[in-house]
Amino acid sequence: MKLELKNLSHSYDVEVLHDLNFKLDNYKSVAIIGVSGSGKSTLIRLLSGLEKPTTGELFVDGYAVQDEEYRRQVGFVFQNHNLFPHLTLKRNITLVLEKTRGIDKIKAEEIALKYLSLLHLEDQVDKIPKNVSGGQAQRASIARALSIDPDVIFLDEPTSSLDPILTHEVLTAIEELLELGKQFIFVTHVMSFVKDFADYVLYMDSGNITEHGTPDILDNPKTKELQGFMSRVR
Amino acid sequence: MKTWVDTDLTSILMNKTVSYILAIFTIVAFVTIVILRSTSGFSLSSFTPYKSLIISGFFNTIYVSIVSLFGSLILGFVFYEFSISKSKYLIAFTDVFTEIIYGTPLLVLIVISAFVIGPAFNTYNRNLMGIAALIIYMTPYMKNVYKSAFSSITEEQYMAMDLFGFTPFQRYRYIIIPQVIRILMPPLMNNFSLIIKGSALLNVLSYNELYYAIRVAQSKTFDFVEGYLLMWVIYLVITIPLSQLTKYIERRWAL
Repeated sequence: MKLELKNLSHSYDVEVLHDLNFKLDNYKSVAIIGVSGSGKSTLIRLLSGLEKPTTGELFVDGYAVQDEEYRRQVGFVFQNHNLFPHLTLKRNITLVLEKTRGIDKIKAEEIALKYLSLLHLEDQVDKIPKNVSGGQAQRASIARALSIDPDVIFLDEPTSSLDPILTHEVLTAIEELLELGKQFIFVTHVMSFVKDFADYVLYMDSGNITEHGTPDILDNPKTKELQGFMSRVR
Repeated sequence: MKTWVDTDLTSILMNKTVSYILAIFTIVAFVTIVILRSTSGFSLSSFTPYKSLIISGFFNTIYVSIVSLFGSLILGFVFYEFSISKSKYLIAFTDVFTEIIYGTPLLVLIVISAFVIGPAFNTYNRNLMGIAALIIYMTPYMKNVYKSAFSSITEEQYMAMDLFGFTPFQRYRYIIIPQVIRILMPPLMNNFSLIIKGSALLNVLSYNELYYAIRVAQSKTFDFVEGYLLMWVIYLVITIPLSQLTKYIERRWAL
Protein backbone atom coordinates (compact mmCIF):
# COMPACT_ATOMS: atom_id res chain seq x y z
CA MET A 1 0.00 0.00 0.00
CA LYS A 2 0.92 3.61 -0.38
CA LEU A 3 0.70 5.96 2.57
CA GLU A 4 1.26 9.67 2.53
CA LEU A 5 0.91 12.23 5.32
CA LYS A 6 1.22 15.91 4.44
CA ASN A 7 1.67 18.54 7.17
CA LEU A 8 -0.64 16.49 9.36
CA SER A 9 -1.54 17.95 12.74
CA HIS A 10 -4.38 16.98 15.00
CA SER A 11 -5.69 18.43 18.26
CA TYR A 12 -8.35 17.51 20.73
CA ASP A 13 -7.86 19.92 23.62
CA VAL A 14 -4.10 19.84 23.10
CA GLU A 15 -2.17 18.99 19.98
CA VAL A 16 -1.59 15.24 19.78
CA LEU A 17 0.03 15.00 16.34
CA HIS A 18 2.63 17.56 15.35
CA ASP A 19 3.02 18.39 11.67
CA LEU A 20 3.71 14.90 10.36
CA ASN A 21 5.16 14.44 6.89
CA PHE A 22 5.69 10.88 5.82
CA LYS A 23 5.66 8.65 2.74
CA LEU A 24 5.56 4.90 2.44
CA ASP A 25 5.26 2.58 -0.54
CA ASN A 26 4.89 -1.12 -1.17
CA TYR A 27 4.32 -2.61 2.26
CA LYS A 28 1.36 -4.83 3.05
CA SER A 29 1.22 -4.80 6.80
CA VAL A 30 2.16 -1.72 8.77
CA ALA A 31 2.39 -1.69 12.56
CA ILE A 32 2.14 1.49 14.60
CA ILE A 33 3.69 1.15 18.03
CA GLY A 34 4.43 3.46 20.94
CA VAL A 35 3.46 4.20 24.51
CA SER A 36 -0.09 5.18 25.45
CA GLY A 37 -0.75 8.77 24.55
CA SER A 38 1.88 8.86 21.81
CA GLY A 39 -0.78 9.54 19.16
CA LYS A 40 -0.90 6.10 17.53
CA SER A 41 -4.63 5.57 18.01
CA THR A 42 -5.28 9.06 16.68
CA LEU A 43 -3.14 8.34 13.62
CA ILE A 44 -4.96 5.10 12.82
CA ARG A 45 -8.33 6.80 13.20
CA LEU A 46 -7.27 9.59 10.87
CA LEU A 47 -5.88 7.09 8.35
CA SER A 48 -9.17 5.19 8.35
CA GLY A 49 -11.20 8.35 7.87
CA LEU A 50 -13.04 7.86 11.18
CA GLU A 51 -11.91 11.32 12.22
CA LYS A 52 -11.03 14.43 10.26
CA PRO A 53 -7.56 15.92 10.83
CA THR A 54 -7.37 19.43 12.25
CA THR A 55 -4.93 20.40 9.50
CA GLY A 56 -3.06 18.61 6.74
CA GLU A 57 -3.89 15.73 4.42
CA LEU A 58 -3.65 11.95 4.38
CA PHE A 59 -3.59 9.66 1.37
CA VAL A 60 -3.91 5.89 1.31
CA ASP A 61 -3.38 4.15 -2.02
CA GLY A 62 -3.90 7.45 -3.78
CA TYR A 63 -7.23 8.21 -2.08
CA ALA A 64 -7.72 11.24 0.13
CA VAL A 65 -9.04 9.59 3.26
CA GLN A 66 -12.05 11.88 3.63
CA ASP A 67 -13.20 10.67 0.22
CA GLU A 68 -16.60 8.89 0.53
CA GLU A 69 -15.45 6.18 -1.86
CA TYR A 70 -12.40 5.43 0.29
CA ARG A 71 -14.40 5.39 3.52
CA ARG A 72 -16.75 2.77 2.13
CA GLN A 73 -13.93 0.32 1.62
CA VAL A 74 -12.29 0.65 4.99
CA GLY A 75 -12.44 -2.22 7.46
CA PHE A 76 -11.93 -1.18 11.06
CA VAL A 77 -11.59 -3.35 14.14
CA PHE A 78 -11.94 -1.49 17.42
CA GLN A 79 -10.31 -2.10 20.80
CA ASN A 80 -13.57 -3.49 22.10
CA HIS A 81 -15.39 -5.68 19.64
CA ASN A 82 -18.05 -3.04 18.98
CA LEU A 83 -20.58 -5.48 17.63
CA PHE A 84 -24.20 -4.37 17.91
CA PRO A 85 -25.16 -6.13 21.15
CA HIS A 86 -28.77 -6.95 20.24
CA LEU A 87 -27.90 -8.79 17.03
CA THR A 88 -26.44 -12.25 16.50
CA LEU A 89 -22.93 -12.50 15.14
CA LYS A 90 -24.38 -13.38 11.74
CA ARG A 91 -26.93 -10.55 11.77
CA ASN A 92 -24.20 -8.09 12.72
CA ILE A 93 -22.69 -8.84 9.33
CA THR A 94 -25.81 -9.27 7.20
CA LEU A 95 -27.36 -6.03 8.51
CA VAL A 96 -24.30 -4.08 7.34
CA LEU A 97 -24.24 -5.82 3.96
CA GLU A 98 -27.98 -5.52 3.29
CA LYS A 99 -28.53 -1.97 4.48
CA THR A 100 -25.33 -0.17 3.62
CA ARG A 101 -24.03 -2.20 0.67
CA GLY A 102 -27.33 -3.14 -0.96
CA ILE A 103 -26.50 -6.84 -1.05
CA ASP A 104 -29.54 -9.14 -1.11
CA LYS A 105 -30.46 -11.32 1.85
CA ILE A 106 -29.30 -14.68 0.51
CA LYS A 107 -25.97 -13.40 -0.75
CA ALA A 108 -25.40 -11.46 2.50
CA GLU A 109 -25.98 -14.58 4.56
CA GLU A 110 -23.56 -16.52 2.37
CA ILE A 111 -20.85 -13.87 2.82
CA ALA A 112 -21.47 -13.69 6.57
CA LEU A 113 -21.12 -17.45 6.99
CA LYS A 114 -18.02 -17.51 4.82
CA TYR A 115 -16.13 -14.98 6.95
CA LEU A 116 -17.42 -16.30 10.26
CA SER A 117 -16.13 -19.77 9.32
CA LEU A 118 -12.86 -18.26 8.18
CA LEU A 119 -12.49 -17.02 11.75
CA HIS A 120 -13.60 -20.41 13.14
CA LEU A 121 -16.95 -19.18 14.41
CA GLU A 122 -19.24 -21.48 12.42
CA ASP A 123 -20.76 -22.83 15.65
CA GLN A 124 -21.46 -19.40 17.13
CA VAL A 125 -23.23 -17.60 14.28
CA ASP A 126 -26.64 -17.44 15.98
CA LYS A 127 -25.40 -16.23 19.35
CA ILE A 128 -25.49 -12.63 20.48
CA PRO A 129 -22.17 -11.03 21.49
CA LYS A 130 -22.66 -11.30 25.25
CA ASN A 131 -23.07 -15.07 24.95
CA VAL A 132 -19.67 -15.65 23.34
CA SER A 133 -16.18 -15.09 24.75
CA GLY A 134 -14.33 -11.80 24.29
CA GLY A 135 -12.01 -13.48 21.81
CA GLN A 136 -14.87 -14.89 19.78
CA ALA A 137 -16.62 -11.50 19.74
CA GLN A 138 -13.43 -9.83 18.59
CA ARG A 139 -13.01 -12.41 15.83
CA ALA A 140 -16.62 -11.83 14.77
CA SER A 141 -15.83 -8.15 14.62
CA ILE A 142 -12.88 -8.95 12.34
CA ALA A 143 -15.22 -11.06 10.19
CA ARG A 144 -17.59 -8.09 9.98
CA ALA A 145 -14.74 -5.80 8.95
CA LEU A 146 -13.70 -8.30 6.25
CA SER A 147 -17.24 -8.87 4.97
CA ILE A 148 -17.40 -5.54 3.16
CA ASP A 149 -14.32 -6.65 1.20
CA PRO A 150 -12.09 -3.76 2.26
CA ASP A 151 -8.77 -2.97 0.61
CA VAL A 152 -7.20 -2.02 3.90
CA ILE A 153 -8.08 -3.34 7.34
CA PHE A 154 -7.34 -1.19 10.36
CA LEU A 155 -6.90 -2.83 13.73
CA ASP A 156 -6.77 -0.51 16.74
CA GLU A 157 -5.28 -2.53 19.61
CA PRO A 158 -7.61 -5.43 18.82
CA THR A 159 -6.46 -7.47 21.80
CA SER A 160 -6.04 -4.83 24.49
CA SER A 161 -9.17 -5.90 26.34
CA LEU A 162 -8.41 -9.62 26.19
CA ASP A 163 -6.44 -11.95 28.44
CA PRO A 164 -3.23 -13.57 27.10
CA ILE A 165 -4.93 -16.78 25.93
CA LEU A 166 -7.68 -14.96 24.03
CA THR A 167 -5.07 -12.52 22.70
CA HIS A 168 -3.15 -15.43 21.22
CA GLU A 169 -6.37 -16.86 19.74
CA VAL A 170 -7.26 -13.57 18.02
CA LEU A 171 -3.75 -12.84 16.78
CA THR A 172 -3.42 -16.33 15.32
CA ALA A 173 -6.69 -15.78 13.47
CA ILE A 174 -5.39 -12.48 12.09
CA GLU A 175 -2.15 -14.06 10.90
CA GLU A 176 -4.15 -16.58 8.88
CA LEU A 177 -5.78 -13.68 7.06
CA LEU A 178 -2.56 -12.69 5.31
CA GLU A 179 -3.39 -15.33 2.72
CA LEU A 180 -6.44 -13.31 1.72
CA GLY A 181 -4.10 -10.74 0.21
CA LYS A 182 -5.49 -7.92 2.33
CA GLN A 183 -3.45 -5.00 3.58
CA PHE A 184 -3.27 -4.16 7.26
CA ILE A 185 -2.51 -1.13 9.36
CA PHE A 186 -2.58 -1.89 13.03
CA VAL A 187 -1.79 -0.60 16.49
CA THR A 188 -0.69 -3.11 19.09
CA HIS A 189 1.33 -3.58 22.25
CA VAL A 190 2.20 -7.18 21.46
CA MET A 191 5.75 -6.99 20.06
CA SER A 192 5.97 -10.65 19.03
CA PHE A 193 2.93 -10.07 16.84
CA VAL A 194 4.60 -7.03 15.25
CA LYS A 195 7.69 -9.09 14.45
CA ASP A 196 5.66 -11.96 12.96
CA PHE A 197 3.03 -10.02 11.12
CA ALA A 198 4.27 -6.54 10.16
CA ASP A 199 6.55 -5.77 7.26
CA TYR A 200 6.93 -2.14 8.31
CA VAL A 201 6.91 -0.45 11.71
CA LEU A 202 6.23 3.13 12.73
CA TYR A 203 7.33 4.04 16.23
CA MET A 204 5.51 7.04 17.64
CA ASP A 205 6.54 9.18 20.55
CA SER A 206 4.76 12.33 21.80
CA GLY A 207 2.88 12.94 18.56
CA ASN A 208 5.81 12.34 16.19
CA ILE A 209 6.93 9.38 14.09
CA THR A 210 10.27 9.08 15.83
CA GLU A 211 11.59 6.01 14.08
CA HIS A 212 10.39 3.78 11.27
CA GLY A 213 11.60 0.86 9.19
CA THR A 214 11.28 -2.89 8.76
CA PRO A 215 10.64 -4.87 11.99
CA ASP A 216 14.44 -5.21 12.41
CA ILE A 217 14.41 -1.77 14.03
CA LEU A 218 12.86 -3.40 17.09
CA ASP A 219 16.05 -5.41 17.61
CA ASN A 220 18.40 -2.60 16.66
CA PRO A 221 16.70 0.66 17.62
CA LYS A 222 18.61 3.77 16.59
CA THR A 223 16.82 6.49 18.52
CA LYS A 224 17.03 6.55 22.28
CA GLU A 225 13.23 6.81 22.50
CA LEU A 226 12.72 3.46 20.75
CA GLN A 227 15.62 1.98 22.74
CA GLY A 228 13.89 3.04 25.91
CA PHE A 229 10.53 1.72 24.70
CA MET A 230 11.95 -1.66 23.71
CA SER A 231 13.79 -2.06 27.02
CA ARG A 232 10.51 -1.47 28.82
CA VAL A 233 8.27 -3.75 26.75
CA ARG A 234 10.61 -6.69 26.88
CA MET B 1 -47.60 -31.37 60.02
CA LYS B 2 -47.95 -30.64 56.36
CA THR B 3 -51.11 -31.96 54.74
CA TRP B 4 -52.03 -32.02 51.08
CA VAL B 5 -54.44 -29.14 51.76
CA ASP B 6 -51.56 -26.83 52.80
CA THR B 7 -49.46 -27.73 49.79
CA ASP B 8 -52.37 -27.22 47.48
CA LEU B 9 -53.26 -23.84 48.95
CA THR B 10 -49.66 -22.63 48.76
CA SER B 11 -49.33 -23.63 45.13
CA ILE B 12 -52.61 -21.91 44.30
CA LEU B 13 -51.40 -18.71 46.00
CA MET B 14 -48.13 -18.92 44.11
CA ASN B 15 -49.99 -19.01 40.79
CA LYS B 16 -49.57 -15.65 39.08
CA THR B 17 -53.05 -15.40 37.57
CA VAL B 18 -54.71 -16.33 40.85
CA SER B 19 -52.56 -13.76 42.64
CA TYR B 20 -53.70 -11.03 40.27
CA ILE B 21 -57.36 -12.01 40.61
CA LEU B 22 -57.00 -11.90 44.41
CA ALA B 23 -55.28 -8.51 44.26
CA ILE B 24 -58.02 -7.06 42.09
CA PHE B 25 -60.64 -8.61 44.36
CA THR B 26 -59.03 -6.90 47.37
CA ILE B 27 -59.42 -3.49 45.78
CA VAL B 28 -62.97 -4.20 44.61
CA ALA B 29 -63.89 -5.42 48.10
CA PHE B 30 -62.50 -2.23 49.63
CA VAL B 31 -64.48 -0.05 47.25
CA THR B 32 -67.66 -2.07 47.89
CA ILE B 33 -67.25 -1.68 51.64
CA VAL B 34 -66.79 2.07 51.24
CA ILE B 35 -69.93 2.33 49.08
CA LEU B 36 -72.00 0.16 51.44
CA ARG B 37 -70.89 2.20 54.43
CA SER B 38 -71.75 5.53 52.83
CA THR B 39 -74.86 6.98 54.43
CA SER B 40 -76.59 8.12 51.28
CA GLY B 41 -77.82 5.55 48.79
CA PHE B 42 -75.60 4.80 45.83
CA SER B 43 -77.02 4.90 42.32
CA LEU B 44 -75.63 5.87 38.96
CA SER B 45 -79.05 6.01 37.35
CA SER B 46 -79.27 9.80 37.63
CA PHE B 47 -76.41 10.00 35.08
CA THR B 48 -78.32 8.11 32.39
CA PRO B 49 -79.67 11.27 30.66
CA TYR B 50 -76.05 12.52 30.37
CA LYS B 51 -74.75 9.35 28.75
CA SER B 52 -73.99 10.91 25.39
CA LEU B 53 -72.27 13.90 27.03
CA ILE B 54 -70.06 11.59 29.08
CA ILE B 55 -69.31 9.34 26.11
CA SER B 56 -68.22 12.29 24.00
CA GLY B 57 -66.12 13.45 26.98
CA PHE B 58 -64.53 10.02 27.11
CA PHE B 59 -63.60 10.11 23.42
CA ASN B 60 -62.40 13.70 23.63
CA THR B 61 -60.08 12.76 26.48
CA ILE B 62 -58.67 9.90 24.41
CA TYR B 63 -58.36 12.13 21.35
CA VAL B 64 -56.60 14.95 23.20
CA SER B 65 -54.29 12.50 24.97
CA ILE B 66 -53.25 10.76 21.76
CA VAL B 67 -52.66 14.04 19.93
CA SER B 68 -50.63 15.30 22.90
CA LEU B 69 -48.71 12.05 23.11
CA PHE B 70 -47.60 12.21 19.49
CA GLY B 71 -47.04 15.96 19.64
CA SER B 72 -44.81 15.68 22.68
CA LEU B 73 -43.06 12.59 21.29
CA ILE B 74 -42.08 14.59 18.21
CA LEU B 75 -41.26 17.85 20.01
CA GLY B 76 -39.44 15.91 22.73
CA PHE B 77 -37.28 14.25 20.08
CA VAL B 78 -36.52 17.64 18.51
CA PHE B 79 -35.47 18.96 21.92
CA TYR B 80 -33.43 15.82 22.54
CA GLU B 81 -31.61 16.48 19.26
CA PHE B 82 -31.12 20.11 20.37
CA SER B 83 -29.66 18.98 23.68
CA ILE B 84 -27.02 16.84 21.96
CA SER B 85 -26.36 19.25 19.09
CA LYS B 86 -23.12 21.13 18.52
CA SER B 87 -24.83 24.51 18.83
CA LYS B 88 -24.25 25.99 22.29
CA TYR B 89 -27.33 28.18 21.82
CA LEU B 90 -29.63 25.19 21.21
CA ILE B 91 -28.23 23.39 24.25
CA ALA B 92 -28.71 26.50 26.40
CA PHE B 93 -32.22 27.05 25.02
CA THR B 94 -33.20 23.46 25.85
CA ASP B 95 -31.88 23.90 29.39
CA VAL B 96 -33.71 27.17 30.00
CA PHE B 97 -36.93 25.82 28.48
CA THR B 98 -36.73 22.67 30.61
CA GLU B 99 -36.16 24.62 33.84
CA ILE B 100 -39.11 26.91 33.15
CA ILE B 101 -41.48 24.06 32.31
CA TYR B 102 -40.38 22.04 35.37
CA GLY B 103 -41.36 24.95 37.57
CA THR B 104 -44.66 25.71 35.84
CA PRO B 105 -47.96 24.18 36.99
CA LEU B 106 -49.81 22.69 34.01
CA LEU B 107 -52.94 24.66 34.91
CA VAL B 108 -51.02 27.93 34.69
CA LEU B 109 -49.49 26.94 31.36
CA ILE B 110 -52.90 26.06 29.91
CA VAL B 111 -54.51 29.31 31.04
CA ILE B 112 -51.61 31.47 29.86
CA SER B 113 -51.47 29.70 26.49
CA ALA B 114 -55.18 30.01 25.84
CA PHE B 115 -55.82 33.50 27.22
CA VAL B 116 -52.49 35.33 26.78
CA ILE B 117 -50.16 33.70 24.25
CA GLY B 118 -52.89 32.64 21.81
CA PRO B 119 -54.59 36.05 21.55
CA ALA B 120 -51.16 37.71 21.19
CA PHE B 121 -50.83 35.81 17.93
CA ASN B 122 -54.49 36.27 16.96
CA THR B 123 -55.43 32.72 17.90
CA TYR B 124 -58.65 32.53 19.79
CA ASN B 125 -59.02 28.77 19.41
CA ARG B 126 -58.69 27.94 23.10
CA ASN B 127 -58.94 24.18 22.65
CA LEU B 128 -56.05 24.25 20.21
CA MET B 129 -53.93 26.38 22.55
CA GLY B 130 -54.87 24.10 25.44
CA ILE B 131 -53.63 21.03 23.58
CA ALA B 132 -50.51 22.94 22.54
CA ALA B 133 -49.91 23.74 26.22
CA LEU B 134 -50.23 20.06 27.11
CA ILE B 135 -47.73 19.15 24.38
CA ILE B 136 -45.26 21.82 25.47
CA TYR B 137 -45.64 20.81 29.10
CA MET B 138 -44.75 17.18 28.30
CA THR B 139 -41.85 17.99 25.96
CA PRO B 140 -39.04 18.15 28.56
CA TYR B 141 -40.25 14.91 30.12
CA MET B 142 -40.25 13.22 26.71
CA LYS B 143 -36.79 14.65 26.02
CA ASN B 144 -35.58 12.95 29.20
CA VAL B 145 -37.12 9.66 28.15
CA TYR B 146 -35.09 9.76 24.94
CA LYS B 147 -32.00 10.91 26.76
CA SER B 148 -31.99 8.11 29.30
CA ALA B 149 -32.80 5.52 26.66
CA PHE B 150 -30.29 6.60 24.01
CA SER B 151 -27.49 7.09 26.50
CA SER B 152 -27.34 3.30 26.77
CA ILE B 153 -25.93 3.20 23.22
CA THR B 154 -22.16 3.45 23.54
CA GLU B 155 -19.96 5.95 21.72
CA GLU B 156 -18.24 3.02 20.00
CA GLN B 157 -21.50 1.82 18.49
CA TYR B 158 -22.02 5.24 16.95
CA MET B 159 -18.50 4.99 15.53
CA ALA B 160 -19.34 1.63 13.99
CA MET B 161 -22.53 3.09 12.50
CA ASP B 162 -20.50 5.98 11.06
CA LEU B 163 -17.92 3.63 9.69
CA PHE B 164 -20.36 1.47 7.76
CA GLY B 165 -22.36 4.49 6.64
CA PHE B 166 -25.80 3.73 8.07
CA THR B 167 -28.35 6.46 7.32
CA PRO B 168 -30.01 8.21 10.30
CA PHE B 169 -33.22 6.29 9.65
CA GLN B 170 -31.43 2.93 9.51
CA ARG B 171 -29.58 3.74 12.74
CA TYR B 172 -32.78 4.30 14.65
CA ARG B 173 -34.75 1.54 12.96
CA TYR B 174 -32.27 -1.31 13.13
CA ILE B 175 -29.76 -0.43 15.81
CA ILE B 176 -30.89 2.17 18.32
CA ILE B 177 -34.66 1.61 18.78
CA PRO B 178 -34.49 -2.21 19.09
CA GLN B 179 -31.92 -1.80 21.86
CA VAL B 180 -33.69 0.94 23.79
CA ILE B 181 -37.36 -0.01 23.40
CA ARG B 182 -37.32 -1.90 26.70
CA ILE B 183 -35.85 1.12 28.48
CA LEU B 184 -38.08 3.53 26.57
CA MET B 185 -41.49 1.98 27.17
CA PRO B 186 -42.00 2.22 30.97
CA PRO B 187 -41.23 5.95 31.31
CA LEU B 188 -43.15 6.58 28.10
CA MET B 189 -46.18 4.92 29.64
CA ASN B 190 -45.75 7.03 32.81
CA ASN B 191 -45.75 10.13 30.67
CA PHE B 192 -48.83 9.01 28.79
CA SER B 193 -50.64 8.55 32.10
CA LEU B 194 -49.53 12.07 33.05
CA ILE B 195 -50.99 13.35 29.78
CA ILE B 196 -54.32 11.57 30.24
CA LYS B 197 -54.70 12.84 33.78
CA GLY B 198 -53.34 16.26 32.83
CA SER B 199 -55.93 16.58 30.07
CA ALA B 200 -58.56 16.90 32.83
CA LEU B 201 -57.22 20.41 33.41
CA LEU B 202 -58.48 21.45 29.98
CA ASN B 203 -61.86 21.73 31.74
CA VAL B 204 -60.86 25.31 32.69
CA LEU B 205 -61.19 26.12 28.97
CA SER B 206 -64.66 24.53 28.98
CA TYR B 207 -63.28 21.87 26.67
CA ASN B 208 -65.64 18.90 26.80
CA GLU B 209 -63.27 16.20 27.98
CA LEU B 210 -64.20 13.54 30.52
CA TYR B 211 -63.70 15.62 33.67
CA TYR B 212 -65.66 18.54 32.28
CA ALA B 213 -68.48 16.31 31.01
CA ILE B 214 -68.97 14.68 34.37
CA ARG B 215 -68.74 17.99 36.23
CA VAL B 216 -71.54 19.31 34.01
CA ALA B 217 -73.64 16.23 34.73
CA GLN B 218 -72.91 16.53 38.46
CA SER B 219 -74.06 20.15 38.50
CA LYS B 220 -77.45 18.97 37.23
CA THR B 221 -77.87 15.72 39.20
CA PHE B 222 -76.15 16.82 42.43
CA ASP B 223 -74.79 13.25 42.74
CA PHE B 224 -71.19 14.32 43.32
CA VAL B 225 -69.85 11.14 44.93
CA GLU B 226 -71.27 8.94 42.18
CA GLY B 227 -69.91 11.30 39.54
CA TYR B 228 -66.38 11.13 40.89
CA LEU B 229 -66.54 7.35 41.23
CA LEU B 230 -67.74 7.11 37.65
CA MET B 231 -64.94 9.43 36.54
CA TRP B 232 -62.37 7.33 38.42
CA VAL B 233 -63.53 4.09 36.84
CA ILE B 234 -63.57 5.58 33.34
CA TYR B 235 -60.00 6.91 33.72
CA LEU B 236 -58.93 3.43 34.78
CA VAL B 237 -60.73 1.97 31.76
CA ILE B 238 -58.45 4.16 29.62
CA THR B 239 -55.14 3.75 31.44
CA ILE B 240 -55.11 0.06 32.36
CA PRO B 241 -55.50 -1.34 28.79
CA LEU B 242 -52.83 1.13 27.67
CA SER B 243 -50.42 -0.08 30.28
CA GLN B 244 -51.10 -3.67 29.16
CA LEU B 245 -50.54 -2.67 25.55
CA THR B 246 -47.22 -1.12 26.50
CA LYS B 247 -46.11 -4.32 28.16
CA TYR B 248 -47.10 -6.24 25.06
CA ILE B 249 -45.12 -3.91 22.78
CA GLU B 250 -42.16 -4.15 25.12
CA ARG B 251 -42.14 -7.94 24.85
CA ARG B 252 -42.80 -7.92 21.13
CA TRP B 253 -40.06 -5.42 20.24
CA ALA B 254 -37.44 -6.43 22.70
CA LEU B 255 -34.30 -8.25 21.61
